[in-house]
Amino acid sequence: MIQIIDYGAGNLQSIKNALEKLGAESEVISSPQELITDAKIIFAGVGAAGSAMANLRKSGFDKALTKLKNPFLGICLGMQLLFERSEEDAVECLGVLKGDVRRFPLGLTVPQIGWNKVKTNDSALFKSIPQESYFYFVNSYYARPSTNALIAETEYGITFCSAVQKENFYGVQFHPEKSGEIGQKILDNFIKLC
Amino acid sequence: MLIFPAIDIISGECVRLTQGDYSKKQTYSKNPTKIAKKFEQDGASFLHIVDLDGAKIGSPRNLAQIQAILQNTNLSVQVGGGIRSFEDAKKLFDLGVDRIILGTSAVSDKSLLKKLLEKYCSQKIVVSIDARDEKVLVEGWLKNSGKTLFEFLDELKVLGVKTIIFTDIKSDGMMEGPNFSTIKQVIASDLNVIVAGGISSIKDLRKLKEIGAYGAIIGKALYEEMIDLSQAVKQFQVNKLAKRIIPCMDIKNGRVVKGTFFKDLKDAGDPVELGKKYSNLGADEIVFLDITATIERRKTLYELVKRIAANINIPFTVGGGIRSISDIRNLLNSGADKVSIGSAAVRNSELVQKAAKAFGSQCIVISVDAKKSGKSWNIFIDGGRTDTGIDAIQFAGTMERLGGGELLVNSLDRDGTKQGYDIELLKKIASSVSIPVIASSGAGKEKDFLEAFKKADVDAVLAASVFHYGQIEVPDLKKYLQANAITIRS
Repeated sequence: MIQIIDYGAGNLQSIKNALEKLGAESEVISSPQELITDAKIIFAGVGAAGSAMANLRKSGFDKALTKLKNPFLGICLGMQLLFERSEEDAVECLGVLKGDVRRFPLGLTVPQIGWNKVKTNDSALFKSIPQESYFYFVNSYYARPSTNALIAETEYGITFCSAVQKENFYGVQFHPEKSGEIGQKILDNFIKLC
Repeated sequence: MLIFPAIDIISGECVRLTQGDYSKKQTYSKNPTKIAKKFEQDGASFLHIVDLDGAKIGSPRNLAQIQAILQNTNLSVQVGGGIRSFEDAKKLFDLGVDRIILGTSAVSDKSLLKKLLEKYCSQKIVVSIDARDEKVLVEGWLKNSGKTLFEFLDELKVLGVKTIIFTDIKSDGMMEGPNFSTIKQVIASDLNVIVAGGISSIKDLRKLKEIGAYGAIIGKALYEEMIDLSQAVKQFQVNKLAKRIIPCMDIKNGRVVKGTFFKDLKDAGDPVELGKKYSNLGADEIVFLDITATIERRKTLYELVKRIAANINIPFTVGGGIRSISDIRNLLNSGADKVSIGSAAVRNSELVQKAAKAFGSQCIVISVDAKKSGKSWNIFIDGGRTDTGIDAIQFAGTMERLGGGELLVNSLDRDGTKQGYDIELLKKIASSVSIPVIASSGAGKEKDFLEAFKKADVDAVLAASVFHYGQIEVPDLKKYLQANAITIRS
């Protein structure tokens, strides 16, 4: 079972559709009481860090998520919120990963919208995915892990971290559910290998 | 890593000093704007300006030259030199400078730094640290501040500074390469570190990138032709999203249709099936336009959007008849990634602003319907039937300012003709805005797509009938473009 966390940060239907295509059973949950121990968790979302954190605090997910031992995949904002704090709305985040989230430099086209290359190391999440494959990104901010959690990086003026892993927590800055077949493969790897 | 070519100005002229010594001055050009333009042509997006008169006197001096550079280029400019008061900083921001650089005053006047960080975001305030033997120097390198480098870095972090420029004074203008071991320690402080001083080769740049520098300022090495700027930008400031191929489906009564000049519509198939087909063939995005919506005042079919979303796993845009925030919300909630706003953006530009605020610019595409009128182009609405008299290039700029995330540019002169995109129109629009431009209308053969990328520098190309009737297959087009050096997702 895959549980998709709903915390009022955008439409989760495309994630659900992508999982359905892979034949994975999934449900959307909106309170920590619904978390089950043998589920894999997907934590997606778009929007601003400030309101997302406020929603997580209100629902109690903020505390529940950090304690999880389940395989966990943060997507886009969901990955950024795993870090200690974000420059966006100057907000304290979940702090599962050490490091912070910063805005792309002034002078670049922000948000970054489109297909960009991802260089990976040999994480299970990227198994069988060719080096420098293109994934679909929509982001104005990027994460800066201060420990060795980085498992992929991408260039957008600067070199930024496009995927992370620490123990059971995985995160990707791009949208696997919008990245065609190769994105489906990421979700499939998460379901089968992580 | 960001590449900042540097211009130092004394008495309105572009100069270089050696080790900050005003008596060791070399003049490279009497016209700094000309130099800035050359940098831009070489591919730079950033520019570092030091007002050396300002630095000496303690208040900005060469404002006219800075203004001329801002007006004549699209560079993102940072300026330093003698900024010692809030008013000095404000003056520069009001001119359109992106970042200001505090040097001496960051050491001597904490309250100024604090106030600037409060009033402007931390992205706009950069602190420049000049150091010799790990001691911070001030006042054009003439004075030792008595502070050690690492205690100063800690102070800055506490204040909320995010970005610094670090110059190791032994290296500047000496062309001996930067002092990498100190730079490494500075980068470890976790600030965004732009390195200046002594960068004299591509090898130096490679090393800086390897150790995680945020940016590199190159001065003398450019003027002395030791580094080729275009190569440096291409190699180290990689900023290349794949160019996108976008099949577009006009939808009427739930079916894909295609005609000429929005008339004589022929059935071209089922939108869900076609969407799936294109997604599998490697299309980078899909646009669905409900063309009945505007004409018959009918809302887009949300159920259809839901079915499309359930079947394709690439981004898609839905347009047609969008008039309100709730129209947009309904489409996004049905699974659309972006919406395309046409007539309503012209009639009610406030909608664009509100929509960008509510949902983010990334999901707001503005559909620009333009038709040649004399020497320029006018904006048309209502499916191309009403001339608004509004200039298309101006309209594009307005939409960007209001928060439009992308421009989908249709040419009513070319629509359905298969005679190629209106390159002239696209070029004008693409060079006047910094948001992505999607070329539309007129694609008939593979070469048309290539020209839109090469000649008009658009970010994406959109076409309908050549794809629907199988004249051009997406994978073949991608191969062709790739063979012609266009960055394509394969």
